Amino acid sequence: MSSVDRLFAARKPYKIEKNEQLFVKAMRDNCRFHYKHCTEYREILDKAGFSPDDIKTAKDLERLPFLPTLYLKRHRILSMSTRRMPIKVTSSGTGGVKSFVGFNWRSMWNAFKMVVNVAKYHKLWSARLTRYVIFGYRPKKSNSLGASKSAWGFTFFAPAASRVYALDWKNGKYQLDLDNIKNKLVKYSKGHMPVRTMGFPAYTYFLLRQMKEEGLSVKLPKGSLICLGGGWKQFYAEQVSKQDFYKLAYEVLGVDDKHVIEFFGAVEHPILYTDCREHHFHVPVYSRVIIRDVDTFEPVPNGQPGLVNLLTPIFDSAPMLSILTDDIGVLHDTPCACGEKSPYLEILGRVGVKDVVTCAQGAEEMLKDLIK
Amino acid sequence: MILYKGHIYPDSKQDELITSLESDIVDTLSKPQRLTTEAVIAASEKMYQKAANGYYDSIAVPLLNQFGVSYERYQAMAKAFSAEVLRYKCEIELGSNWDNLPPLSSGTVRKIAPLGVLFHVAAGNVDGLPAYSVAEGLLSGNINILKLPSGDSGLSVKLLSDLIAEEPSLADYIYVFDVPSTEFETLKRLAKLADGVVVWGGDMAQRAARDMCDVTTKIIPWGHKLSFAYATQKATDEQLGELARHICATEQVLCSSCQGIFYDTDSKEELQGFARRFFEIFKQENKRFGKADMAMRGRNSVQLYNDRLENKYPLILSEDGVSVVVKEDSELELSYTFRNVWVKALPRNEIVKALKKQKGYLQTCGLLSDITERQELAERLICAGVVRVTNGDLSRTFFGEAHDGTYPLREYTRLVEID
Repeated sequence: MSSVDRLFAARKPYKIEKNEQLFVKAMRDNCRFHYKHCTEYREILDKAGFSPDDIKTAKDLERLPFLPTLYLKRHRILSMSTRRMPIKVTSSGTGGVKSFVGFNWRSMWNAFKMVVNVAKYHKLWSARLTRYVIFGYRPKKSNSLGASKSAWGFTFFAPAASRVYALDWKNGKYQLDLDNIKNKLVKYSKGHMPVRTMGFPAYTYFLLRQMKEEGLSVKLPKGSLICLGGGWKQFYAEQVSKQDFYKLAYEVLGVDDKHVIEFFGAVEHPILYTDCREHHFHVPVYSRVIIRDVDTFEPVPNGQPGLVNLLTPIFDSAPMLSILTDDIGVLHDTPCACGEKSPYLEILGRVGVKDVVTCAQGAEEMLKDLIK
Repeated sequence: MILYKGHIYPDSKQDELITSLESDIVDTLSKPQRLTTEAVIAASEKMYQKAANGYYDSIAVPLLNQFGVSYERYQAMAKAFSAEVLRYKCEIELGSNWDNLPPLSSGTVRKIAPLGVLFHVAAGNVDGLPAYSVAEGLLSGNINILKLPSGDSGLSVKLLSDLIAEEPSLADYIYVFDVPSTEFETLKRLAKLADGVVVWGGDMAQRAARDMCDVTTKIIPWGHKLSFAYATQKATDEQLGELARHICATEQVLCSSCQGIFYDTDSKEELQGFARRFFEIFKQENKRFGKADMAMRGRNSVQLYNDRLENKYPLILSEDGVSVVVKEDSELELSYTFRNVWVKALPRNEIVKALKKQKGYLQTCGLLSDITERQELAERLICAGVVRVTNGDLSRTFFGEAHDGTYPLREYTRLVEID
């Protein structure tokens, strides 16, 4: 078994100290693979004077050249033929440009093992028939959005009795039908089967707020979960504090905050980040986070904000072992009451989002983003 | 929120009120007594006095903080509503005898009359600007329908309600609707009522306005513009310093903000030398201002890192969130903004050729040169389509200056003749 396969077989998702050597070796092996098979990547490393063999300790990973997601959106750089990638997904394209990511069988298998173990840790597996409410797109063959694929995958943690989607495919286009969702939630609350909702925090929040304004308040059956994924994206301006969100979820759906679970991940970094019971995103063994100074890119001490650089050796298809996201975040190492010692990542916002609408750039850009 | 004849209504009344709007407008226009400019000026002066005495501070101060505008600048901006400045504006824009034009030699009487009804499609980039647009419409005697920008803070409705409170006869001349830009048919209905449509906003807004108006409706486009600097080898460090301060102060987000610098040379070495010289000055001024917003610096750093990976430009200088990028073409374009400028070679005899491509977008040029060259270069810039030539502070404002090469009051009025 290769170092990468062994890393993704790790059963305790947050014991990162124990797996540090293995992570470093997996990164080195993955880096060697891409250096050998991807000309563009080799050129980038050569130009930076960096060799895959330079990766000896975790500290060396700070010097490994990273690729911005922006670069991946503009260049489809691959380390193998797309024919070897049974799954191809695109990012949801914040700002209009999408990035393409392919998975070969081995990466898929590793992702699967990771999901199994992370879900086990967070007690997401259940044998009870469950009703799924997805605040997102009904999957369709032509829809390659990563978000819709992962929402669909999510409906297999517990056997599905039914699935409803907020964005359903009707008359040749996707249509938003929140009333249907509301009616279903009210109906389900009278039954016994647990309900699991999944969707963008902003959509979920808007729905809950609407229900509250209409005076709707139900109690979902025991074992129900509210799951959030995909980040707050374009809704930073509307962002509510997490505490307000939990309060609203309890008021409207009768679900306490221990049953509100948030996921975080990116198409370019498909590692399943799941918040702990203290609602912290601990870094799992399959991934590392380096927070970099926005001007110099030097790593900043924990607790200080900067650009979020994510590392993982999961991909064989393309050299995405160290990517620089458009997010500003902080890595915390203060002890967490959940007991895990792995540091936890907090996303503060996206680069380029400021409370100012510019005249020269045009407000339309922003509007387009909001409508999307 | 809807403001209709001085009353506030909820958005749910929108259809009903738009239906009654046409007959209400006709009623107003049919009345013998007309809105006088003096009444508008008097009401506006009272508002200005209130602002000067701090009456609006509770609303204004949070906005000023949000946009990093000083209180002094706010007070100076408020002065635009004073009687003194408004009278000066009428005189400059419409001529000194504008309310009493001498007749033609034939004896024909000449008068400046309002267009009639103006429909203002406002943009959301400056709070309170929609209200100012309406004030200009009132000053020229028009009935004004205002479409609020999405995400309006409510400031415009507050200001216009206050104005009506000062001068109740204005109620028949101000109608504010909060119609989303996506409700095209509703906007079309409003545009149909108007003699002139005043459109604030970029290309998309301008295009939408053309689609919603009848061919005979006058469109007054206040579109997004681009501004830049032009420097010669004789530009001094002081001039470059003033430009750097302007860039830091406006963060390059205004229509009049400098996006980049054209340098009068055809030598790549000289261009790079100039870029390095400006970069040193830029860094110094940036230190004095304090760094730009972190999220914007982050965005630019990632962009520049990407540009370096792509080997896109011959020279990229960056530090502390400011950057100077040498590019090989000579096109006027938007910069990354927030203290990031491009530098391009543009020999003076190619100014017209290079800038003509962007003719619809040209606004201000900060001309950094020796006094002996100034006249010649200004002529070339004007021939290319630039409407304002300044020094290093491209965004300086003076009362009485034109807006994108024209006077709004002239656009909002017509000349009528009576034998």
